[in-house]
Amino acid sequence: MAEQAIVRPTFAVRYRKILLGGFAVILFFAAWQAIFLFVPFNPLFISKPSLIAAGLVDLVDSGDLFHDLAVSAVPFFIGLAAAVIVGVPLGIVMGWRPRVGYALDPLMTVFYASPLVALAPLLVIFFGVGVSGKAVIVFVLSVFPFIFNAHAGVRAVDRLLINVVRSLGGGEWDLYRKVIFPSVLPYIVAGSRIAVGRALIAVLVGEFFAASEGIGYAISRFGDIFALDRMFGCILVVMAIAVVLTEGIRWAERAAFPWRAGQ
Amino acid sequence: MAGYIEGRNVSLTFRPPNRAPVRALGGFDIAVEEGEFLSIVGPSGCGKSTFLNVVLGLTKLDSGEVLMHGKPIGGPGSDRAMVFQEFGLLPWRTVQHNIELGLELKKVPAEKRRATAERLVVLVGLAGFEQHYPHELSGGMKQRVGLARALATDPDVLLMDEPFAALDAQTRDLMQAELLRIWREARKTVLFVTHQIDEAIYLSDRVVVMSKRPGRAKKIFAIGLPRPREYEMRVTPQFNDLKLEIWNTLKDEIVA
Repeated sequence: MAEQAIVRPTFAVRYRKILLGGFAVILFFAAWQAIFLFVPFNPLFISKPSLIAAGLVDLVDSGDLFHDLAVSAVPFFIGLAAAVIVGVPLGIVMGWRPRVGYALDPLMTVFYASPLVALAPLLVIFFGVGVSGKAVIVFVLSVFPFIFNAHAGVRAVDRLLINVVRSLGGGEWDLYRKVIFPSVLPYIVAGSRIAVGRALIAVLVGEFFAASEGIGYAISRFGDIFALDRMFGCILVVMAIAVVLTEGIRWAERAAFPWRAGQ
Repeated sequence: MAGYIEGRNVSLTFRPPNRAPVRALGGFDIAVEEGEFLSIVGPSGCGKSTFLNVVLGLTKLDSGEVLMHGKPIGGPGSDRAMVFQEFGLLPWRTVQHNIELGLELKKVPAEKRRATAERLVVLVGLAGFEQHYPHELSGGMKQRVGLARALATDPDVLLMDEPFAALDAQTRDLMQAELLRIWREARKTVLFVTHQIDEAIYLSDRVVVMSKRPGRAKKIFAIGLPRPREYEMRVTPQFNDLKLEIWNTLKDEIVA
């Protein structure tokens, strides 16, 4: 019977991915902290983890951090929502209607490949320093991953499934609803991981240029007054948000598309 | 006598861009009787699948005509349904929702759809798998779903395009027996395309042998075996004589 026993991995083996990854992160901060013991850095130009942690506690205590995050969240989500609403249908039509695709593909490729962040000052002039200006920057940066992923998803649609729906009496609209959109959905979610990263950059850049509140504004202001502990604190918070959002989408991909497991 | 489905002098040429045109069908004649199980065998590329697509209404012919009930076929209709070689199941739908697809497209209310799906799941032997996704099923089970989906809209004619070609030999034998059982219960006219002579004889009332491209009907064989068909019939002299005769008709058409 012994050879039929199920082998259970030990705790260390089972969680080795998390353990090793977490260990590296801790090591990184420990090394950062430790280097100040040996090198006398000017605290005006660089901070260390212990001070950053204290600064963060301050920001949380005063409520400033949450206020700034809430202010930045509004254009972030408005811009992203607009990017989905415009980008997904546009990408699908470009993929399903070849002539629309041929016409728009070069233009979209140019926009996607170029550093659109450079347009940020202009967009702020056009749309103002408030929510709308920032939302437009977010939209401009994050719409293209949706367009291109939806486009790629349509081109990967199984032609057989199109014939199946046609043969059962389905019309053009049924093809979109029953085959094309469900096929494209995983591509859109994958694209949203890229889009979220770009949208975060957009919010920060928008607030660097012109703003009186928001997390990007906080980073730039703390930098200006050499409050590096708080500046790094805010940067770490933004990094953490980026990780949570992209990993959250990755997790949602696996949970929402069980049928992809076999592909 | 006019058939239930009738193809008269059906001709069709594919014209792929930048390549020489391909004459798939060149004057194909066929008459299928109501309730008949008719198989079409022929060399690869002879246009037998193309003909099924014409009957299904997805492919337009160049000349000749295909009639059903004496009326020309103009497009897909709920009196015909196809079972595809590669199953064609929607991977994001469960077994039940795949079966319901055709009814959904016909705007049948959810209650009625579910009732139909429940009945068909039992008929094709998939009870208990209603909530499974296609990737969780074996090839044979996937094709059972494909068959149930085709039956769901209650068509008069089942078109089957090498439905068991993607299955292993034993599963294929089992599915043939299952198909005969379901056919007895559902009483449909079946137009069945296959490469396998055995399969065609075992299942059919008549077998049409097609010529090489451009496809025509070369010879039609009436299969006199009694029904219900038993597996043992496959080793009778009568079966083997038919097999040899069909093979002799077919082999000159095969370009290897």
